[in-house]
Amino acid sequence: MRLKGRHWLTLWLVVFLFVLLAITTRQTAGFRTARHLRDLRDERTALESRRAELERRIRLASSRQVLVPLAERSLGLHQPTDSEFVLFVVPAAAGGKP
Amino acid sequence: MAKPSARIAAVQFGFALGVAAILGRAAQVQIIEGSEWAKEAARKRTERVVLPARRGALYDRNGVPLALTQEFYHVGIAPNELDDVATAFRLLVRNLGVPAAELEREFRARKPWIYLHGPFNATQVQALRPITGVHLDGEFQRFYPSRDLARPIIGGLSPDRPAGAAGLELSLDSLLTGQPGAAVLLKDRAGRRYESPARLLREPVAGNDVTLTLDAELQEIAERGLAEALAAMNAAGGDVVFLDPLTGELLALASQQGSSDEPQRASSFTDPFEPGSTAKLFTAAALLAHHLVDSTEAVSAEHGRWEMPVARNGRTRTITDSHRSDGKLTLAQAIQISSNIVMAKFSSRLQPEQQYETLRDFGFGTPTGAEFPSESRGRLARPDRWQPMYTRASLAMGYEFGVTPVQLAAAYGAIANDGILLAPTLVREVRDPTGRLLYRHVPEPVRRVVSQEIAGRLKDFLRGAVGEGGTGEKAQLVNYTLLGKTGTAVRFEDGHYVRGEYTASFAALFPAEHPQLVVIVKIDNPKGNYYGGLTAAPVTRSMLEQALASQRVAIDRARLAAPDSAAASETAPIPTPAGRPVVALRWPYHPSDSVTSPRPVPDVAGRSVREAALALHRRGFQVGLRGLGRVVRTEPAAGQSAARGSSVIIWAE
Repeated sequence: MRLKGRHWLTLWLVVFLFVLLAITTRQTAGFRTARHLRDLRDERTALESRRAELERRIRLASSRQVLVPLAERSLGLHQPTDSEFVLFVVPAAAGGKP
Repeated sequence: MAKPSARIAAVQFGFALGVAAILGRAAQVQIIEGSEWAKEAARKRTERVVLPARRGALYDRNGVPLALTQEFYHVGIAPNELDDVATAFRLLVRNLGVPAAELEREFRARKPWIYLHGPFNATQVQALRPITGVHLDGEFQRFYPSRDLARPIIGGLSPDRPAGAAGLELSLDSLLTGQPGAAVLLKDRAGRRYESPARLLREPVAGNDVTLTLDAELQEIAERGLAEALAAMNAAGGDVVFLDPLTGELLALASQQGSSDEPQRASSFTDPFEPGSTAKLFTAAALLAHHLVDSTEAVSAEHGRWEMPVARNGRTRTITDSHRSDGKLTLAQAIQISSNIVMAKFSSRLQPEQQYETLRDFGFGTPTGAEFPSESRGRLARPDRWQPMYTRASLAMGYEFGVTPVQLAAAYGAIANDGILLAPTLVREVRDPTGRLLYRHVPEPVRRVVSQEIAGRLKDFLRGAVGEGGTGEKAQLVNYTLLGKTGTAVRFEDGHYVRGEYTASFAALFPAEHPQLVVIVKIDNPKGNYYGGLTAAPVTRSMLEQALASQRVAIDRARLAAPDSAAASETAPIPTPAGRPVVALRWPYHPSDSVTSPRPVPDVAGRSVREAALALHRRGFQVGLRGLGRVVRTEPAAGQSAARGSSVIIWAE
């Protein structure tokens, strides 16, 4: 069947619409991906910030500044002199076994 | 009335004119002015922005973060854009910690824009991100997780720009600063920005991460020990330095002037002091190197008081000893009881140039070269400015020259290191943002100062000084021996000596055999007991006890427990010609010549932590643990080279 002029016109319109649709879809997807990426970055930043804050608190809580007075006051412990601990020599023969 | 054909022709002509005008204008806009309009459109729809680069982090030698860069935010609120004012208000108060009454007052004032400066961290603002009408303005800010730990050494950034202003932040600025990126953002008609991944022009490159030689645990021991000592002695200030003599790595640097609440400076680098008797050892080194005293020779100690002639006209200066001795003393005994008189007498045998050269060789009068930006060179006058009959004696007693605690630590490190002076350092390694190793410190020998034999004799002198009857007896531990020398000097301030004020100091090598630590403790103007042996020496002992008791401090306990083990035997001395060589070090220096020669890290992946630690200890490394169970990897990785005595971190499941 030979296509008439209006058919060609319709066909070109349909192609044009498809191209428009593809462009719009691609751009929308791009924006959505960018937004998702930004959200993930924000989340990562928040988590890193949280981790740093927790590490700071752990460091402070496990510091000598906090632990030593606490151990002395609550548990009656004291700073050991060098005569109060012994360093053991690991025998070479024991090296192969956990 | 014209004919219809004429009217149609007129209308057609009008249309034609209109079309021609439109085409002409279109040609003008598109072809002639096209580029300008394109620029205008781009300007209105896009915006070029600079993407700031994250500044590199600073870590201690075991990976404890000391300085990090994080994104912080200022918050702007447009009340007329808020959909639900009550919810937004509640979230703002709860997450930002802003006083509710204060924020309510701002809302009631019907301001078009409410600004909360903060800065707030990312965790605080995370819940606010979806709220329309709340605008976040982010920027990178420096964050010091350990707050005051080693702050005078680490320094800080300039308040008006993200660049180092003091301390290591300044000296390492070029390493830590990243490369800013650039991007083009799309804007809509309202000016709202849309991030467009396709328009990123240049990614920002973060700065390099720097691992320092500092040991956070030892640093805390030093800072706390110093603060407690200053409070107990009601002293004006002080410094503590811990140095690894085998590598030149500075492990801890504590400084305090006045109250611990006041802003502090790194006086261990910047403030020279007259070392007093801790410097007697260096004149002894000169005397031994030039064969001017033998081990059996003794001179009179003058019953503790001697009028020393200082001019041809018979003018004298009185020299006294705090430990009175009635007999004759050898050089070793003079060091042991810290006799000023005997050292003054022996020093007269030296030519000024010989004494000056030895002091310079030990590193006095010149910066050590550590990475601190405002390091003092100390004070050491040239021999042509000396008082001919007195300066040699003054220098022998530790007066008339100024040293920084770091210089003193490096000089004692040379004695510990069999006579080789190593350059002290604060930087252990540098890694790029991907973790690739860019630099790792290897010991940098400056020169051989004295022969190995003389270094051994100097260590014997130090052994006597902390032994029974020595001035540093109170520093001695029960189960481990150390070497050391006390110092007590009248304070020199603003060009004159201050009567009744003293600087007490103690220099120690720990342990006595194959020293792993050099410790310098200096206390300015202690009240009550002011002798170094009664003030700085017990503080040194207390700090060493704490360091030994802490599992996290970088001490090779395997070598402490078994000083005669195979590991110890590997530290074979560097062969030296007899006498005092000018340069005995082979040059160019090959690390394999050194007792700290780098060696490959063994592959311990898959082994138990216990097996891995044992294998690494046997190779001479210190071991840090991250986790338990099977070993996943090590840092440095298997196969990479690391200096003997350096730490290898085991990461386990």
